[in-house]
Amino acid sequence: MKITIKCFSQVKYALGIDEFVLELEAGTMTSELEQNIRSKADGKLDGISLRIAVNQKYIPNDIELNDGDEVAFIPPVQGG
Amino acid sequence: MVKIEIIDGPIPFFPNDDSRQQDGAELIFNGRVRATEHGDAITALEYEQYEGMAEAELTQLAKDTCQKFSINDIFCKHRIGKVDVGETSLHIVIWSKHRQEGIDAMSWFIIELKKRVPIWKWAILGDGSRIPSECSHDY
Repeated sequence: MKITIKCFSQVKYALGIDEFVLELEAGTMTSELEQNIRSKADGKLDGISLRIAVNQKYIPNDIELNDGDEVAFIPPVQGG
Repeated sequence: MVKIEIIDGPIPFFPNDDSRQQDGAELIFNGRVRATEHGDAITALEYEQYEGMAEAELTQLAKDTCQKFSINDIFCKHRIGKVDVGETSLHIVIWSKHRQEGIDAMSWFIIELKKRVPIWKWAILGDGSRIPSECSHDY
């Protein structure tokens, strides 16, 4: 299945990209994807808490992803 | 009523309205860009949003504020893109029957905005370089 990853702020800075698509096995959980993203960041996201949004909504728990989902790992926000 | 706008460019303030007869208090807050970030001189902040989700979260937050506090209306404009030092990045107006509920609602709204609305700042330094702001819990 294909998952679109949106990157902002420290995640964008760490990965050097705004958005990309990953091909993942069916049944992949959000926690597994987070581990994948953190490993791609090569330590640059260590110590940074990330909230997860799936299809533009925060998720309170680990969930199974579906084909076509849009996922964002949200570093601490800074509006205002 | 809530009114939310995310704007890429200077914020036109909400116009004065003298027709309101049930609002004894009108609270106005303007957030402006400081010249320093953690002691370092900057020339501007660049605000980045998660397009779609930022406006949806801001709208839901405004509705939550109306439910939690006894206020009549809340209007908010948040700027994105490059905002020079001194310029307004956030403009909020709250109308309420009495002042205290408006003041409490304003404080809560801003604190929650800084916790849940997916908007971030990049600091623009004097040499033109751009780094993610480290300012994340400046309530």
